[in-house]
Formats: sequence, C-alpha cells, structure tokens
Amino acid sequence: MLFRRIYQFLIVYSIGLLFLLLIKSVLSLSDYVIPGVGLIIETFHNVFDTYFFDVMNTMSVTVLGQCVSIAMAFGVGIAGRRSSWMGSFIKVTAYNIQAYPIVALAPIIFILLGDGFLSRLLIASMICYFPLLLSVLGIMATPVVDIEHFYIITGRMRWQLEVKIRAFENLSKLTTVISGSATLAMAGTIVAEFIAANAGIGYSIRIALYQSNLAGILIALFMIGIVISIYQGCLETLGEQIKTRWSVSKRGNI
Amino acid sequence: MRLECNNLNFTYPDSDVPVIKSLSFSMETPGFNAVFGPSGVGKTSLARLIAKMESNFKGNIDTRGMDTILYSYNLERLPGWSSTGNHLDRVTPEGKQPLKDRLIDIFELKNILPARFSKLSMGQQNRINLVRYLLQDFSLLIMDESLANVDEKLRESIILSIKNLFADKMFLYISHNLMEVSGFCRDILVFGKPSGNKGCSIIQGRDYKKGYQPDKEALDRTMLEIMNAI
Repeated sequence: MLFRRIYQFLIVYSIGLLFLLLIKSVLSLSDYVIPGVGLIIETFHNVFDTYFFDVMNTMSVTVLGQCVSIAMAFGVGIAGRRSSWMGSFIKVTAYNIQAYPIVALAPIIFILLGDGFLSRLLIASMICYFPLLLSVLGIMATPVVDIEHFYIITGRMRWQLEVKIRAFENLSKLTTVISGSATLAMAGTIVAEFIAANAGIGYSIRIALYQSNLAGILIALFMIGIVISIYQGCLETLGEQIKTRWSVSKRGNI
Repeated sequence: MRLECNNLNFTYPDSDVPVIKSLSFSMETPGFNAVFGPSGVGKTSLARLIAKMESNFKGNIDTRGMDTILYSYNLERLPGWSSTGNHLDRVTPEGKQPLKDRLIDIFELKNILPARFSKLSMGQQNRINLVRYLLQDFSLLIMDESLANVDEKLRESIILSIKNLFADKMFLYISHNLMEVSGFCRDILVFGKPSGNKGCSIIQGRDYKKGYQPDKEALDRTMLEIMNAI
C-alpha cells in the first residue's frame, strides 16, 4: 500500500516533469522560464535541507489539523445522526456551510488571528472537516436495520452501540475517507501558508514564486508529493490493520 | 393472554394499495400458532403491526396480557466485531445461563460459537439469531421465516423443543412450509390470495408435541383445508 502510493506519485511527477522538459526543448525556452535537468538537480542540493524541514513543519500542522477535523466530524456526525429536529438542523447546516469555499474565509482568519500556527491549523482543519463531516453524517444517519433491529426491539440499544454498529459496517468507507482527507488537510495548510503564514513549505513556494524560481517550486512539489504519499500510505495501512483486527476471526472459519 | 385484531386495515405511507384489508381474528391461549399464505399477502406487515413497528393503521390490535412482543426475521445479522458466542453471552439476561446452554444443545450451535457471524451458513445464522430472541423475556415471539435454510429434521426438533420449553408463551410462526405449519401449529391464520377474494380464516393445525404419532390422514385433511382457504 505504502510503496504503491510512492511509485504512483513518482510516475505522475516524472510524467509532469518530462512534459515540461519537452515544452522547453520544443519551444527552445531558457532556463529562466523552465529550468533544465542540471539546474533542477543543483537546486535540489541547495534547498533540500530547508525544504525538508519546511515540509515537516507543514506536515505537523496537517496531521494536527486532520485530527481536529476528524474529532469534530465524528462529534457533529454522531450528534446529527438522529432524525430529530436537532439532527435535521445539524445536517442541513453542515450541507449548506460546506457549499461555501472555506479558502475565501482565510483572509478573515489571518486578520483576526495573525499569520502564526493557529491560523494555519484552523484553515487546514476547516478545509479537511466538511468533506469528512458529510461522509460521517451519511454513515451515522443510515441505520443498519438487520443488525440494529434486535437491540431496538429488546430495548438494549444505546447510542454508543448504534455508533459502533454503523462505524463497523462502514469501516472501509471511513478509512478511505480519512486517508483521502489527508490530501485536503495538506492542501489547506499549504494554501494558508501561501496566503499569509511565515513558515512551512507553502511559505517557501511563495518566496520561490516571487523569485521566479521554478526549479525551487518543482523541488517543493516533489517533496510535498513524497511526504503526503508516505502519510496516506501509512493511514491506509493503519486502516487495513484496524479492519483486519476488528473484523476477521482469529479462531478460523466454520 | 390474547391476540385479537378487529377490522384491521393498513397501507404503507408511500403506497395507495392497502396491504391488509378488514382483517379480524383472535388467538386466545399460549401456544405455537402460525400465519400462512402466499408471498405478498401481508404476513410480514401484520407481524410488524403486532410488534408495534408500524403505526398508521386503522382498526384495533388487542394484545391484552402480553407485556413484551418480539419480532425476529430471516436475514437478521449479529455485529461482526466479536464471535457469536461472545454476542450470545452479552445478550443473555442474568439467571438464563442454563437455558442458554440448553438452547445451544438443541439448536446444535456448540461448534460455531467461536466463529464470527459472517463466517456461518445461512441456516446457522438463523439458528443463532433465534436463540438470542428465545433468551429474552417475552410474551409473544413472532418468528418470520426465522428457521429458513435450516434442514428439515433439525427444524422439527427445534420447533418441538421450543413448544416444550416455552409452553406458557405465544408464538406466531410465519413460514411457507405447508406440512410443517399444518403439523406443528395450533391456530393457523391463513391469508387468501388477494385476487381470490377469500379473505382470512383460522384453521386448526395438528399441534404435534414431542413424541407425537403422525396421523397422515388428519394431516392431509388439515393441509387440504389450508389450501382451500388460500
């Protein structure tokens, strides 16, 4: 899973890079517009250390932002799963708010909270939160009738059991959504850094952009891709392990 | 203990066609009773109405003297995160451990208790599901095809044991097996075909108990009576 993610990224990145080099050679563009392979390698050596720590900085905000958004999505999803007035209100509100582009709110967050860690975390978790919330709400609001019936009719149903049944029955969907939301959290953090932050790989890309340093941007993209592939691969592997441990009998089949 | 329906009418909210029309019947004493009829005549709908899983009906359902009505059906599932044995332990009320052990023997479930529900055959799944219902406190248990996919010999042994162990409870057994219903059930509510305008009628089954001597002629007569009522 982990290695598949990495080589899939390497293939896509190589195709993109080759396409740029093809344009460079067909249109005879200078290194100033599209850098050559030599310049890219040289830039890689120059910026690797700086960009590595920048990506790690961004990654730490991403992971934290994703954890916050997962906790929030499950909290609201569980509260909104009921077909009561409150449940319907939460669902409708969530659907309406998620239709609004959260990135557009980023300037307000920077004005109110400044360009530090908290702004990046808030934007990352908000961008990651709504798609997660919609999936969790959908899963938590859909009864698994053929399992839940017994507990309901015998008066044994508790909200914890209901949530456990629905989460277990949709484990594959949940792990896919959570690992997929890592990309959103990373994108949210980078966007936040790109707009106004003073740290992270997004901030470094912004500097490279002002210097028209396409080689630097390509290196930054490469490092972002590798790190997010590893992170997603780890999440998927973790999801698989949870599924295996939770759902497969250790005592064999009948 | 009394189960009585008077002029019962029911239509599902998203439909214009009534599923149950002017149904009246009564079953007055504990025992193993049945609901029989072709598919789509409203057997499951009636069961859901009696179990109070549907409202919005017209008429009257009297369940006097019955505190707890349970409804079990074919294709129910147990959660998959633990073995069936663990699930059974968790839903066994205090003091019913001996009954649980007895039922496990009768239903021949001992070997499958360590397995997860999804690893069982359909017959095994239905048996384990029915056992957990029988362990609960109930006055009326509706068994909607609850023994489907169980082999005939074991099914007979299970039904006879249930009748023996739960003689003071009422059962409503929904099945498409004519011979089984005719032989083992006492009051059989037979639904006529919707196109035939025959309505519903109660027919007395043979109500066989453990150690019964089959009376082929009487059984044939009951079966014929049921077929004529459809």
